Amino acid sequence: MRLGMVIDLKRCIACYGCQLSCKAEHGTPPGVFFARVLKREEGRYPTVRQLFLPVLCNHCDDAPCVEVCPTEASHHAPHGVVDIDHDKCVGCRACMMACPYSNRYFHDERQFYFPESGPTLYEAARSERHPERVVMKCNFCAERRADGKLPACVANCAAGARYFGDLHDPNSEVSRLIKDRGGFTLHPEAGTGPAVYYLAP
Amino acid sequence: MTIHLSRREEKPSNASGIDKWVPSACALCYATCSIRAHNVDGVVIKIEGNPDSVVGKGKLCGKGVSGLMGHYDPNRLTRPLRRTNPRKGIGVDPGWKEISWEEALTEIAETLKRVRAEDPRKLVVQRTTTVTASRIPFHSFAAGFGTPNIATAGGGLHCGNGAHEISGIMHASWSVVPDFAYCNYAIYFGASKGHSAGHASCSNMGLAADARARGMKMVVVDPMCNFASAKASEWVPLRVGTDGPLALAMCNVIVNELGRIDEPYLQSKTNGPYLIGPDKRYVRDPGSGEPLVWDCGCNEARPYTKVPSASMALLGEYRVDGVACHPAFQLLKDHLQSFSPEAAEAITTVPAANIRRLATEFATEARIGSTIVIDGVNVPYRPVAAIAFRGSQGHMNSTYNFLGIDLLNQLVGAADVAGGCLGFNPACNGFPGTGRLKYRPKPGRDGLMVSGTWMGYHYPYPMAEPRAPQNIGLQDLFVMGMNSPFLASSDQEEVWTRFGLPYRPEVLLNFGANMLMSMGTKETVAAALQRYKLIVSFDLFLNETSDFVDIVLPDCDYLQSMDSRSTWPFIFGHPAGMGEWCWGIRQPADEPRGEQRRFADVLLDLADRVGILPDVHAAMNASLNLEAPYRLLPDRRYSWDEICDAELKNNFGEAHGLGWFKKNGVITWPKTPDEPYWRATTEARVPIYWEFMVDIHEKINKITQQCGYKAPDEYYDPLPLFNPCLSHECKTPGFDFYAFYYRDTLHSNSYTTENPWLDEAARLDPYSYTIVVNRSVGEARGLKSGDLIRVETEVGRSVEGRICLSEAIHPEGLGIAGLAGHWHAGMPVAKGKGVFFNELLELDFAHASPQNLNLDLCAKVKVTRIGEAP
Repeated sequence: MRLGMVIDLKRCIACYGCQLSCKAEHGTPPGVFFARVLKREEGRYPTVRQLFLPVLCNHCDDAPCVEVCPTEASHHAPHGVVDIDHDKCVGCRACMMACPYSNRYFHDERQFYFPESGPTLYEAARSERHPERVVMKCNFCAERRADGKLPACVANCAAGARYFGDLHDPNSEVSRLIKDRGGFTLHPEAGTGPAVYYLAP
Repeated sequence: MTIHLSRREEKPSNASGIDKWVPSACALCYATCSIRAHNVDGVVIKIEGNPDSVVGKGKLCGKGVSGLMGHYDPNRLTRPLRRTNPRKGIGVDPGWKEISWEEALTEIAETLKRVRAEDPRKLVVQRTTTVTASRIPFHSFAAGFGTPNIATAGGGLHCGNGAHEISGIMHASWSVVPDFAYCNYAIYFGASKGHSAGHASCSNMGLAADARARGMKMVVVDPMCNFASAKASEWVPLRVGTDGPLALAMCNVIVNELGRIDEPYLQSKTNGPYLIGPDKRYVRDPGSGEPLVWDCGCNEARPYTKVPSASMALLGEYRVDGVACHPAFQLLKDHLQSFSPEAAEAITTVPAANIRRLATEFATEARIGSTIVIDGVNVPYRPVAAIAFRGSQGHMNSTYNFLGIDLLNQLVGAADVAGGCLGFNPACNGFPGTGRLKYRPKPGRDGLMVSGTWMGYHYPYPMAEPRAPQNIGLQDLFVMGMNSPFLASSDQEEVWTRFGLPYRPEVLLNFGANMLMSMGTKETVAAALQRYKLIVSFDLFLNETSDFVDIVLPDCDYLQSMDSRSTWPFIFGHPAGMGEWCWGIRQPADEPRGEQRRFADVLLDLADRVGILPDVHAAMNASLNLEAPYRLLPDRRYSWDEICDAELKNNFGEAHGLGWFKKNGVITWPKTPDEPYWRATTEARVPIYWEFMVDIHEKINKITQQCGYKAPDEYYDPLPLFNPCLSHECKTPGFDFYAFYYRDTLHSNSYTTENPWLDEAARLDPYSYTIVVNRSVGEARGLKSGDLIRVETEVGRSVEGRICLSEAIHPEGLGIAGLAGHWHAGMPVAKGKGVFFNELLELDFAHASPQNLNLDLCAKVKVTRIGEAP
């Protein structure tokens, strides 16, 4: 089994539900978004459109971050999920340099959204567990999956633009969507074998 | 005197061991999607959509999932505050002093008692648009007190004096959407329904995505290519505020060039066959007074109730008792001739060939005459919809712009049928267990449709009789107006004097509206607020308006509040079309902090102190439609929870009181096809010719004759015209951009900019906090993205911000995401973020529609670079 995600750009409307439900799920510090939405204009007025591109860790098969990690903190967890063992991470950030997708963050020091008053009760409950001086990123919501739930960004997508499942199963929804609609990955030239696929807008 | 508002919060005591998901309702915008809030050890750690509800369908937008950061904002108010500095002004420190609730309520009650004894109309009650369920306690308080002055700050002016009124008259609903499940061709005019906006926001996102994935063509007319237009199959950029002429030119092509109309629909469901005399009024049967139609069967004029609709003439000239008359449709047909695609091109900049093509596509895709079987029921099928909202009708020509757009639906019979333009749930057969919540549009005066339920002061049709104003907003004189700029216009006193308002407001009771930012230019609003003797405001934060408030009351937010309903009326949050009915409550997932109190209980307490509790209970009995044994007794003191319990049991039976709803969150039952597609089986007609405008015009002029005012003819014609906004008249060299604002997906009104997650996302978004100008136009002036610019109106009002050069905007447009640009320290995250567009808007009689009081929301501006990109 290899877990993967399909994001249908035809359905995505850039409501930021993924970016912010991810933040709410993980209580990530200021500046850290495991899931993001990028916007770009394509064409010239008036023949122009906006492209919305939700991005997250690609959980690559041939993951440069895993390769360069000197302590084996970045590793392949079961089902192809790329995760970071924070007990092993020394914060060298080689993985950030290696990642062609810029989806890793270095947690340099404790920060809160209302710096003058310290952590809110929410941040005390959800954010203070993130260790400092380590790299952090998406792990396809390992905790939620352990509870039998879908990743937060998938479960919450109001436009129904995100699908999650087994890329190795040819009959899974994700595999069928990739096959039927010509799913593509980002930066294929990097040869990383991402587990996040996109369907054309 | 300074007061420390930021406090490190403490967990509620005795909270350890709690682990519960609380079903409730979001309040980050007026869509009020159903949520589940996860409380662990007394801390709410997650908000998710509630999958048991069709209101949101278990999903939330970026705002909804971010609610916790607003909830736990240390800048939240926790104590009642009273100003010590009598001087009020923008940036003038009120010298806040913490006081007790007892002190606060005693002072407020004393003033209210005095004012009520003098003239209860001196009280103005104002609410924010987001917590829609607050309508019940606040309107009931106002009704019990005896004031007609109930306002929603910028709501109406900035969202839908035309959209809501006309959706009401034509679709018996507050708003319109395509029937996403069946529509094949939707044309949007300045609307983003289904793209993280408005009522049923999250449900519609899924439905719209399904429709686009299914292949629905979506044409979006908008000066800017964002949100819905970004997802459109075709973006049609146009000159700001000219949507009406574009729609009317399309109507012209459909009627006069293609001749592709739904005759049976026009005959049976509109007043198209009604004969109109030279006085622009119906020709009536002398006996019954009913409008006459020409019966082609027997070649004579007969009352519309006596003629089979298939025999009613839509075209021709007839003589009745020697007077020449025409079917209303003939007049519309002739009228439309003046809107040629070529003329429309000159106004809108949309090429005439494109207008013809769009009209042809719309009329062709309508499949006039077809039907479809849904759940075993054969219903008319017109898979096209023309919809509109703020962008197209937020102008002085608000009514006609919206009406012109809706005529597209009416001409091809695509109104409230499968695939067409749907009202939001105007027909409901009721909860099966009790038969309550049952309403349906029905024929009223002259056979025209009266909605079965309504949200505003008065049903949209028949319109209220104009009267000498007793309402500070003059909506009782200009009866098509819903919300009014005269709440705070620069010529407020002059307008009141001129039209003879017999009193002046003295006390403002405000709930969550930040009026200084929500209407127009701040100096004008400030001057209006300075005239009040007492302003009391229920708030979550100190904000720009607080500089004028006397007593601030610390409110509970949506995660700390109780309501028997998430919205008002309950159909508001539902997606249109088939599916389920669903009623959800709002309930606390967290305790109040400090001295925070729930506004509904405070209002009941206040009503008791003022001595109006029996009247407030009577108003609640009426507005909640409570029946025995659940009617509130005049003198009994109820808690708000008890009233919620009464409403729920009244609607859903004894077994489904507040206790049941606290546990289950929502109650659901299925829709049947005759509910969303009610039009075919409902006798009521809708007006394609607004005959009643003639009467209203005459009555208004009669009232205003003494003060020398005559409402302009061009705003009271029964057929839609184009009256450009005053800003369009500005021809001063250098002022060559039409500035407009739009609603960002990341923000609701002005308060979400204080939410640090949403603020952070908005700072990363290329457009949220910038001023968007067409790239070629900007580059030709030597501007670069990131430059600091000043945007200035002819009268010298200005805002400053960073420019974003974009291919995705009309060359004459200048787009700003609305309601950012806070400057008050009470909302430190929001402070200094984005651009305060409303500063560019004049608030006066000249910039208000003399038809429905909608404000001119465009501004003609000059752009000057004042700093380089960093």
